[in-house]
Amino acid sequence: MKIHRLVYILMPLVIYMSFLWAPSAAILGDASRILYYHVPVAWVAVIAFIVAGVESIIIIIKNDEQSLMREERAYNTTLIGLVFTILALVTGAIWANLSWGSYWNWDPRQISIVILLLIYIAYFSLNSALEGNESRGKISSVYLILAMVVMPLFVFIIPRVYDSLHPDTIINADKKMHLEEAMKITLFTSMGAFTLLYIYIYNIMNRISAVKIKIREKRHAL
Amino acid sequence: MTGIYKNLRKDFLVEFRNRSAVNISFAFAVITTMSISLVAGGTSFEPHIHAILIWMIIFFSGMNGLAHTFIREEDEKNALFLRLAYSPEDIFISKLLFNIIFFTGIISVICPLYLFFLQARPLIPQLFIATAFSGGLAIASITTILGAMVSKAGGKGSLFTVLSFPLILPVMWVSITNTALSIEGAESANYRNVLFLIAFSGIIACISYLLFRYIWVE
Repeated sequence: MKIHRLVYILMPLVIYMSFLWAPSAAILGDASRILYYHVPVAWVAVIAFIVAGVESIIIIIKNDEQSLMREERAYNTTLIGLVFTILALVTGAIWANLSWGSYWNWDPRQISIVILLLIYIAYFSLNSALEGNESRGKISSVYLILAMVVMPLFVFIIPRVYDSLHPDTIINADKKMHLEEAMKITLFTSMGAFTLLYIYIYNIMNRISAVKIKIREKRHAL
Repeated sequence: MTGIYKNLRKDFLVEFRNRSAVNISFAFAVITTMSISLVAGGTSFEPHIHAILIWMIIFFSGMNGLAHTFIREEDEKNALFLRLAYSPEDIFISKLLFNIIFFTGIISVICPLYLFFLQARPLIPQLFIATAFSGGLAIASITTILGAMVSKAGGKGSLFTVLSFPLILPVMWVSITNTALSIEGAESANYRNVLFLIAFSGIIACISYLLFRYIWVE
């Protein structure tokens, strides 16, 4: 079955499961349902940035005729990652307002996600500043690798080292998920659906990039 | 080793001939510290405010000089010669050492000046010194590789700030917190954050060392 068909089936299923099937949390009530969107978008953002880093490693190792397309792919996945990071930040802020009474609380996790966002925004500045430079792909790739190395620090380390109001994440000290079975199933279905949505968007963007490259090559040939 | 030493020596000779980076950075540090001192007029600040002011002065004093090391090579058309004469690894290590020494110099001037004029007395001086130098080490490590990238983009001034600020923010965050604790003499003060800064510098320096070749060699 093609990915887009799975996305069309799973996304409405996630909406149904998250709003109607999964029970609401004991203290937060229905507000807790934002969990099924906040966690998956943050998850997809991390995946997208890792893919960008891996693409970048391949770009600098294999310097061949596919490099231009790989650069485009790294750019596309970073763009998707950036959008999903913004979504994670917005859903996180809504959740923070519902549980802590304020959208912005100077919580280490909120600060670290904003820093991560700034790091990847800077990538686009660098990429556009290098326009016309032959080494653009390699330099941008080096930056993306550097960002990928620093990313775990912001996503996994800083929020755990400093005291945070953020609830226990899936990867926690107890190595247990403090969720009911139906909530767990809904969360994992949502994560799967969002991952497929990422792959679907990523494929579309890559196809558009491939067409753009071909048009550019034809123009040069004329 | 010879390549590193020769290039480092060249960088210092060039710097002390025209003194552009050194002059700007040190003049900025002295003027800002004096300005804050005059404006404050003997007002006593909270330890956290002291820490923020010290790190703001350190950050902005260093920014000009740190990017300068690579941009100068491109501006003066030395980059091609350096590519032919030295290995990328030699260039990277010499530039990193230059930045670390340069930034250590800036910190050595700013901190005593600030403490003297603003009359701040760190209750745990060892921690204050360790934080200042480990924070400086982390900033120098990050800005070395970013300076190389910016030099390839034609040395666009604001680009360096845009690229470096997000990566420097966590370093500033940790350094400011630890500096405040050292001034305050808080019981919770410890060397864990200093270790974090040194580890962060080590990770960035290692990754940069491995990747520098791909920026430098065209």
